Amino acid sequence: MIRIENLLKKYGENIALNHLSLEIGKGVIFGLLGPNGAGKTTLVSILNGLSDFQEGSVSFFDLPLRENLTAIRQRCSLIPQTLAFYENLSVIENLRFFAGIQNISGEELKKNIAYAVRVNRLEKMLNQKASTLSGGQKRRLNIAIGLLNNPDVLFFDEPTVGIDPEARNEILETILSFKKENKTVIYTSHYMPEIEKICDEVAIINEGVIVAQGTLEEMLQKEDASSVIIEIYEAPLEQLEMIVSDFEDLSVIDTASLMIEAQDSTKMAEVLQHLEAEAIKIRQIRYGTTNLESLFIHLTSQGRTDG
Amino acid sequence: MVKAMLIKEFLLVLRDKHALAALFVMPAVFILIMSLALKDAFNEEKALVSYTIVDMDHSVQSEKLLELLSENRLLNEQNVSAESASQFLITVPKGFKRQFTSKSGREKPLEIEAAADVKQDLLALFKSQVISAFMQVRVAAIKTKLEKRSASSARELDAISFDEKKMMQVSFSALDTDEKPNSTQQSVPAWIVFGMFFVIIPMSTIFISERKQNTLFRLLAMNVSLPLLFGGKIIPYLLINQLQVWVMIAVGMFIVPLFGAEALTLEGSVIALMMVSLALSLSAIGMSMLIAVIVESVEQATTIGGIINILLGAIGGVMVPKFIMPDFMQTFSNVSPMSWGLEGFLDVLLRREGVEAVLPEVAALTLFGIVLLSVAAMIFKMKVRRGL
Repeated sequence: MIRIENLLKKYGENIALNHLSLEIGKGVIFGLLGPNGAGKTTLVSILNGLSDFQEGSVSFFDLPLRENLTAIRQRCSLIPQTLAFYENLSVIENLRFFAGIQNISGEELKKNIAYAVRVNRLEKMLNQKASTLSGGQKRRLNIAIGLLNNPDVLFFDEPTVGIDPEARNEILETILSFKKENKTVIYTSHYMPEIEKICDEVAIINEGVIVAQGTLEEMLQKEDASSVIIEIYEAPLEQLEMIVSDFEDLSVIDTASLMIEAQDSTKMAEVLQHLEAEAIKIRQIRYGTTNLESLFIHLTSQGRTDG
Repeated sequence: MVKAMLIKEFLLVLRDKHALAALFVMPAVFILIMSLALKDAFNEEKALVSYTIVDMDHSVQSEKLLELLSENRLLNEQNVSAESASQFLITVPKGFKRQFTSKSGREKPLEIEAAADVKQDLLALFKSQVISAFMQVRVAAIKTKLEKRSASSARELDAISFDEKKMMQVSFSALDTDEKPNSTQQSVPAWIVFGMFFVIIPMSTIFISERKQNTLFRLLAMNVSLPLLFGGKIIPYLLINQLQVWVMIAVGMFIVPLFGAEALTLEGSVIALMMVSLALSLSAIGMSMLIAVIVESVEQATTIGGIINILLGAIGGVMVPKFIMPDFMQTFSNVSPMSWGLEGFLDVLLRREGVEAVLPEVAALTLFGIVLLSVAAMIFKMKVRRGL
């Protein structure tokens, strides 16, 4: 379905994607995880033909991307994280515009708009100005626009950012429904429970390389129960790096979390004492990496501390 | 595809009250205000000199003189008690009538007192007007005398005319005989040009919102090419600009005269007018697109766009007519594309020229627009490669 082989993307001297390979099958909901700057956006841009690459190959439906960009785009859809539509147009005007821009007309237009509206439950707000919709409704309109060409492949870039739990669940249910229609979904997110809820397969990308990949079950089996995550109130990175330099198994995940790679109570006490001495307040201590989130943090921070 | 782009852009502009105000209300109001404000400055027959007159003679001749002076449109008679001081005080002395009846040596001349700041050219103008009136009184006096002796000789004096239009015909360079520019003919093209460049505001704000919201990203992923994306912006605003031109011309023709200023007349080549407005629109759109792709926020676009517009307008003769400017400023004003557009419009609306006359301005504006659009396209392409 989607085959990425040995993909190299550089911005000047900076390597964004480092000989990355990936295969995504038909009808799969594929979670693409990674911290900011890991290369997710670059990869999604390349897959949508919005950015070129230096080496490697990308193909959709056994068609090379570069040579068949127009045809491939007609079967794919990008649903950006931002609300990429016109607030001053009504729901139906937005749908008509984005359909018109894709040369969808006549019966196909009616059918596809009806499908996008039904799937996203927008029937009652068709004539409402987009700016007057609630956060969840706006997200649904954003998705509906992506369904207008009845795509085989959907790219979702963090579609649930900034919405309430109820609206989030509705959107996740919508995305899950695409599986029944045998559509392929590439879903990027930072929010691990979502990935665990809807994805069949997951790849974790860090610094332009895939650091882990497999089915959700496989990924969860790779848990590392020996780690401890210390969540703190934000502190300067330099200060945290000074602290971890005093401990062998302690590493910085980000400005609000540290990880100890062994459940050693003496070491734990030393670390906590040190943090207290540095006036760093602790929010929570979590023992064991029991879910995908911990695995993600573990894997991405490993690359960072190794580097 | 193109139809969808056009409908979308029109709907967005129509629903943007601020954009509509900047594009249509602002230039219309400026046309109205400036046509009225500059009415006198462009009117050759406006009162240039104020005077007060005191008649001590109370004769037929002195009253005739007073009547002739008060009918003179260049002169503004003020009451003796008026608060604002006149530039000239004329005293008609007792015995003035002897100017016309007695032998020389006994005449009582008019006494004219000029204000201290009156310049020589104004004094000369005032004296010439008084002499003209004086001569008319004298001719009338001679005619009265002659009528008593010979009716036929008196009738010969009727042939002496003081009607200015019978004496001389004044024409302005590059204008038809006896044609004068009026304030409406100056204001309408100037504020049309200014208003057309205000497409910068809606164009750039919509474009930046599309960029920020990743709508452009989405459109590109939907197989919308760069030429189509730019075309989808250029065509609607070309049409909006044309609508602006005709609405403003209608304001000059039908609304301005309702307030007492002269109406705009449209007697030049309509094709030439359309050529100028299309070329000017292209350069305004080119500038708008360039600003839209360079700046990072709507606030920057409106501030930078507004400043550029005002500067180009001030330099280009929109706010201050070019002919009032000193020579070096008139030369400098040619750096502004608004000046080229304004000259093109003046060629048609004022000088009643045809297509040939506007070709240099049309060529310059078109080239300017194409260059700016090309630069904007290159920058936009670079930004797309970097992820907008």
